[in-house]
Amino acid sequence: MTELIKMVVVLVLLSSSSGGLLHWLKTQTSSKIEDQQVKFVKGPALKSIFEGSSNDPTADRFTLKVGETEKNFFVGKFDGKTNCVAFEGFGKGGYGGDIGLMIGVDIDNGSVLGAAVTTHSETPGLGAKAKEDPSFVSQLKGLSIESPILVTNDGGKINAMSGATITSRAVCNAANDAGKIYKEIKSQLTEKVKSF
Amino acid sequence: MHSQKKLIVSHAPFWHDGSSITTRSYHIMLAAMLAIIPGLIMYGASAVAVVSMSVSSAILWELAFNKISKQPVSVGDGNASLIGLLFAMMLPATSPWWVVVTGTFVAVIIGKQIFGGIGANPFNPVLIGMSILMVAWKDYFDFDAALVNYDLDMVMVYPLAYLKNFGVSIVDQFSIIDLLTGKQVGGIGATFGIGIILGGIYLIIRGFIRWEITISFLAGIFITALAFQISDPQNYAGPVFHLLTGYTLLGAFYLSTEDSSSPVNFIPMLIYGAGCGVMTVLIRNIGAYVDGVVLAILLMNLANPLIDKIRPKAIGKVA
Amino acid sequence: MAKTVTQEFTKGLWEEIAPFRLVLGLCPVLGVTTTMENGIGMGLATTFVLVCSNILVSILRKFIPAKVRIACFIVIIATFVTVVELLMQAFAYPLFLKLGVFIPLIVVNCLVLGRAEAFAFKNKLIPSVADGLGMGVGFTLSLGALGAVREILGTGMFLGMSVFGASYEPFAFMVQAPGAFVCLGLMLCGMNIIGSK
Repeated sequence: MTELIKMVVVLVLLSSSSGGLLHWLKTQTSSKIEDQQVKFVKGPALKSIFEGSSNDPTADRFTLKVGETEKNFFVGKFDGKTNCVAFEGFGKGGYGGDIGLMIGVDIDNGSVLGAAVTTHSETPGLGAKAKEDPSFVSQLKGLSIESPILVTNDGGKINAMSGATITSRAVCNAANDAGKIYKEIKSQLTEKVKSF
Repeated sequence: MHSQKKLIVSHAPFWHDGSSITTRSYHIMLAAMLAIIPGLIMYGASAVAVVSMSVSSAILWELAFNKISKQPVSVGDGNASLIGLLFAMMLPATSPWWVVVTGTFVAVIIGKQIFGGIGANPFNPVLIGMSILMVAWKDYFDFDAALVNYDLDMVMVYPLAYLKNFGVSIVDQFSIIDLLTGKQVGGIGATFGIGIILGGIYLIIRGFIRWEITISFLAGIFITALAFQISDPQNYAGPVFHLLTGYTLLGAFYLSTEDSSSPVNFIPMLIYGAGCGVMTVLIRNIGAYVDGVVLAILLMNLANPLIDKIRPKAIGKVA
Repeated sequence: MAKTVTQEFTKGLWEEIAPFRLVLGLCPVLGVTTTMENGIGMGLATTFVLVCSNILVSILRKFIPAKVRIACFIVIIATFVTVVELLMQAFAYPLFLKLGVFIPLIVVNCLVLGRAEAFAFKNKLIPSVADGLGMGVGFTLSLGALGAVREILGTGMFLGMSVFGASYEPFAFMVQAPGAFVCLGLMLCGMNIIGSK
């Protein structure tokens, strides 16, 4: 009996102290980890969108509530003017799940400044080209974020990548998702961006 | 282990044709010449260079391993040169020297010597070399790209790749006679069908290779390809095309019949050969690879010890 | 068979070097050693876990009941692995992206559990630290060596520099999984040739 109690006590003590330690470490490192994730996962995408910006968009960021979730928004400054914001939209219907698309918007006229795929699990060589080959997403440039973005097959302006129509559609879905977010919180967004 | 029996001798199958490994190797190489020489004539000096580089480097690797592992020198049994020769037969004529040398290293050292030398290798050494190289440098094994500078009097496209990319309609461009007489793109010694078949028949008559494996290999290809063609003639090429392109004939006569990686009993030999054939067509028709012979034979090599256990039991004997 | 602390340390470097002599912990050995940087990063992470778990197991060995020792070891090891994972995310995120799933898998690396069970549970603190450190360093060196060979042959690069010049065509087989097996086998063979002399 004493042996049993000892076993239980030791295991409970060990597990709970381990849990405590990990919780403490997690709270200590969480902001740092987020920084790192932003820098290494979203960083390359932001860099390509805000090419030539005078600030570091990964540092100039704020969060806003969209519906239930908090989203990260990144600010880009050009020639001393701050009128650009980038955020991520998610497109359903990719070949291997959702596609994340970072999209930069000029808030003065709502036109797309640039876009880059952040996360995806598409087929290497076909759908994965959406991320590797910037010529596809660059078609988004100059379009209005507030009107629907579609591939040519669906009556839109975007030429689908050869062999990857499904992925191309999913990227457009992501752009439209971003458009929806943009419309929803346009006023708050403008206000926030101007404050930078 | 405590019984008095010192030696346990099973019933036959034993197979001895009265000749040593050396004469065996040289006979196979001689027969292979029938297929190689037309290839050498067709592709000229660079093919000669590839073949001689392959054979000589295989011998040198074997010698080097013998020296390092302090084993008696086994170059004389001709097996290393046979590996080198068969390996060269599968290569495109333009292979760079370092592809050839690495390939024979993998074939001789990793494919054979690591397992204990001749007779102990579970896989065909040539195919080990080939498959590893195909994984590493697949661009050099794309026959269309490799032979792009040759313009011979024939359809200058690797038939299987052509089939894979353009569908069944291209089959008509290749006549059976052309395919049999080497008028197709492919490895140095893999295209001249008549030569391979004649050499193979000679080896079968002399008893150096087993007809059971060869015939069931070809039958496996024929039946599977026929089944595919009947089920959907729009999408799958016929059996004759499959029999005469790629490494099929080379595989049936020279590669799948390699001694230690193929079975010894009658029924297992049939199963083994047919398995190679079926797998080849499956890989070609359904899989991602252009030619399936290399992988099909390796796969059946892997199953070989199990297949060899299938044999008729003596009546009334338990276990 | 009492050994000095130095001996406990050095045995992990050659005599009982983990992947080659004990043939333990092969999952990361084969999985992450596509480059030397990855190999050493993985090795250091494992070393940290190994040393910390050895310390804790050795300290607590009087209190841990023998019947639930494995469960206790796993809790201890898993804790340190999570610590490594969090720290790596916070301070070396690119490395974390490369090593990915292999970091959590240190928990089931039999090398770590093996040392806790076979050594730290039966020995005092100082030898346990020496043992863990030796094993870890040996592990790191092996991973680094394997990674270096595969990186040089498989990509023609070494730490970002080209080794053989531009004309070298990478032997891509080496950075793929079967290449890891072949390479490990050849290195084992080399170790045995040297060791048997």
